[in-house]
Amino acid sequence: MKCVVLAAGEGKRMHPLTFTRPKVMLPIANKPLLEWNLLNAIDTGLKDFIFIVSYKSEMVRNYFGNGETWNVNIEYINQGKPLGTGHAIGIVEKFVDDFIVLCGDTIFGKNDIKNIIEKDISIGLVKVEDPREYGIVETKGNEVIKIYEKMSQPFSNVINGGIYHFNKKIFNYIKKTNKSPRGEYEITDSINMLVKDENIKGVFLKSWRDVVYPWHLLDANREIIENINGKSDGLIDKNVTIKDKLIVGDNSKILSGTYLEGPIIIGSNCKIGPNCYIRPYTSIGNNCHVGNACEIKNSIIMDNSNVPHQNYVGDSVIGYNCNLGAGTKIANLRLDKKNIDVVLNEEKIETGRRKLGTLIGDNVQTGINSMLNVGSIVGNNVFIGPGAQVSGEIKPNAKIL
Amino acid sequence: MCGIIGYIGFREARNVLIDCLKRLDYRGYDSAGIGVLQNDIQIFKEVGEIENLERELPLINGNTGIGHTRWATHGKVSVENAHPQTGCNKKIALVHNGIIENFKTLKEELEKKGHKFQSQTDTEVIVHLIDEEYSGNIEDAVYNALKKIKGSYAITVLCKDDPEKIIGARKDSPLVIGVGDNENFIASDITALLKYTNRVIFLEDGELCVITKKSTKVIDENKNEVKRDEELIKWDFRDAEKSGFPHFMLKEIFEQPDAINQTLMGRLSEIEQSIRFHDNVEGLLKENYESIHIVACGTSYYAGMVGKYLIENLTNLPVFIDLASEYRYFGTKNKSSLVIGITQSGETADTLAALKQGKESGCKTLVISNVIGSTATRLANGYILMQSGPEIGVAASKTFTAQIIVLFLIALKIATLKNKIGSDEIYKHILNLKELPRQTREVLDRSNSICEIAKNIKDANTVFFIGRGLNYPLSLEGALKLKEISYIHAEGFAAGELKHGPFALLTSNTPVVAIVTRDSTYDKILANIGEIKARGPKVIALADDKDTEIDKHADMVVRFPSNSQISSCVSVSVILQLLAYHVANLRECPIDKPRNLAKSVTVE
Repeated sequence: MKCVVLAAGEGKRMHPLTFTRPKVMLPIANKPLLEWNLLNAIDTGLKDFIFIVSYKSEMVRNYFGNGETWNVNIEYINQGKPLGTGHAIGIVEKFVDDFIVLCGDTIFGKNDIKNIIEKDISIGLVKVEDPREYGIVETKGNEVIKIYEKMSQPFSNVINGGIYHFNKKIFNYIKKTNKSPRGEYEITDSINMLVKDENIKGVFLKSWRDVVYPWHLLDANREIIENINGKSDGLIDKNVTIKDKLIVGDNSKILSGTYLEGPIIIGSNCKIGPNCYIRPYTSIGNNCHVGNACEIKNSIIMDNSNVPHQNYVGDSVIGYNCNLGAGTKIANLRLDKKNIDVVLNEEKIETGRRKLGTLIGDNVQTGINSMLNVGSIVGNNVFIGPGAQVSGEIKPNAKIL
Repeated sequence: MCGIIGYIGFREARNVLIDCLKRLDYRGYDSAGIGVLQNDIQIFKEVGEIENLERELPLINGNTGIGHTRWATHGKVSVENAHPQTGCNKKIALVHNGIIENFKTLKEELEKKGHKFQSQTDTEVIVHLIDEEYSGNIEDAVYNALKKIKGSYAITVLCKDDPEKIIGARKDSPLVIGVGDNENFIASDITALLKYTNRVIFLEDGELCVITKKSTKVIDENKNEVKRDEELIKWDFRDAEKSGFPHFMLKEIFEQPDAINQTLMGRLSEIEQSIRFHDNVEGLLKENYESIHIVACGTSYYAGMVGKYLIENLTNLPVFIDLASEYRYFGTKNKSSLVIGITQSGETADTLAALKQGKESGCKTLVISNVIGSTATRLANGYILMQSGPEIGVAASKTFTAQIIVLFLIALKIATLKNKIGSDEIYKHILNLKELPRQTREVLDRSNSICEIAKNIKDANTVFFIGRGLNYPLSLEGALKLKEISYIHAEGFAAGELKHGPFALLTSNTPVVAIVTRDSTYDKILANIGEIKARGPKVIALADDKDTEIDKHADMVVRFPSNSQISSCVSVSVILQLLAYHVANLRECPIDKPRNLAKSVTVE
């Protein structure tokens, strides 16, 4: 059985992080999102994968290659035009018979994937608290009746989870599918035609992590970091305090006076400390430096970035190759303790989070004692001068003095 | 220039071909066609834009095909002359970009052998030649046929009897292989393929390639297989906006044929033989002014200087031109003068201040701008939009030519309002204007040879630009372009002024770019070139295609097509832009972001 992974999307709602990488390559607990998915799928016994790629496909291809690192076969198909999920699945017609489809940007649990494999034609369903952002699924017993587009007042909290089991029949319906109002070929429209002729089982998923906006990376990061196991390869100095789980890559050094409150994951070739405080659910990539008198909490620091001197970073994502100046601080809580809203792609979005720091793109540099306010989004290559205050959405390449 | 494409894989070839052709339409769009192989080669061609073809195209199945978008060189624009062209029994189909020089003799020979030709194209000769050579192996047939051809070509070939492959070949026209998974492509240019793949193999001149669904093979002139690695085209999201050009500036230079079309759009009336503007602009131009005052900065100022020559020439109205920053403090404000401000962004502070000054002293004001709703357009009594589309490169290119064209239209309009020119003459000007996009395209085709000439300038410390009349402001603009992006010290002079001082700076290491047009000062500028040469510098002349004299005087000549003052103006501007661009590129300067010009600060 082949497994088709939808990995073509750019992820505009993940800007600025996706200006330089496709959504599926965003790092969570120091591995790309797509790898977590792949690992779970491999655990169920799947061996043959087709990755449907497009946006910055070389990054996916370079990382995963032909799959031999994982002892599986990975083939690639370039979607060409971003014409929706129906179009993406439609182009694999010549390569599959009975097959599983996974959305590459949602992390599915191993047992759930297994359940779907064991059923015949089926769809993964999820019960969520706020279903307004998702396609709503009408069911009768365990049969799927219809999938609705997202609605402002949903009649149910059962949504489409983004994992499917199909056979050849689906292609006839994809060919008959017309473009949706937003100009794409939606697989859900094809499924709605298919349900009229065939039984489709709904399978409730137990473990499901959807990643839409940058701050969702923090949720996914937390979930994964809680559940993974690993060893500490690095060199740990005297007088380092380690509480709970710590995973450290080779060649990393943890220097004296550092207080690590796990679970924490640290990549290779890092220098941590001396005298810093890292709190739970923090992922630090490769070649990073966290220096004296710094505190990091519930954050993702990507490769080659530094939090070197007297910094506070909380509930934040820091992109590739960034450097914080001495004394740069990131706020993560409003003084009135209200939920934090952000502006992303010039649109105001409610995050529903009481604590959220800053989302920083790649190659950002901050000057000494600069301040980043709650919920700010900083584009790639931004230059923040000494003592500057940052809030709101900063476009790529801007200079703030 | 034409665009070609070939596809073999698992998708519906029809859709892939149309999609890729749309990305190639900057290479020409007077007709388009595709050929899809399924049992037979089915061919569909239409005159006009690719959208026409798409509309008329039935839903054909087949995973192999070739496509073409044409910009006519041999034979008129017609369905017969559109590509793909086929051989006698429609066994072989081919698309071609280039020019076959010996096609007449080849055609006669082939006709003697019984080949029947359907079109007037040089291309059809290649496909009949392949037909003639074909004896079971399409690769050999193409190889042997190309041996007999003189000229330039990039081709892709489809053969009914060998449906598992497509053949491509190139000489002096571009062609790349796009490498996919279970599919492969051939195209004039990688931008066409970028949606499907960013892995390419570049073909060298004289090479031939064979692609199948799963493989690619490159063969050199001696029929030896060449091992060549695929290269990854790295595009960040900003590059994607550059649609394949290494810099915004080059993209914007190459957009000029379209941009000029846009500038002229809706403003030329062939039937009424008149120039049309918005009513309030027409009202403004109708008033009786004693003079015109043009105010602008930088490149816009030089466009204004060109405008001065054009307007005075056609209307006899005196035109004064001032730098906006000077006019606002020192300019003579005359109530009975029309003040024309030129600003691309519509936000240039000095130009805005000058316009305000003019307005306060009772003058009527008109603005030429590229941005609707900008401060300048709201401030002035009337505005004319350049309609050039956004310009991102710091060095102005397409907006300079647009400004010249708008000023020329103003000149024509005032001249007709004042009955200075008759309808016959204006009709002639309209026809000349309509020729501009095609002529510009021809100039752009010469970009490579301009790059060769740029090599003679790149190491210079100082470059001089000279011209007379209209060519004087163009030489100033040429010098500005060069200095702002290549950091070479450059100055423009009226050709007659050199000997009044600047001569002292001439050495054998100061190349001089001379703009030569065959007007009343033609002999004078040839004499100037002689004087310069006597002091040792190399002279690079810009001269029109029909100038037979210039080669005797200059060291290097860049040619341009020209049949009118305005067309020579535009052609020269484009050449000077390309020259500056190539020099800067050879010197590895950050062309889109010249030093000391900070990027804009956008903070919410």
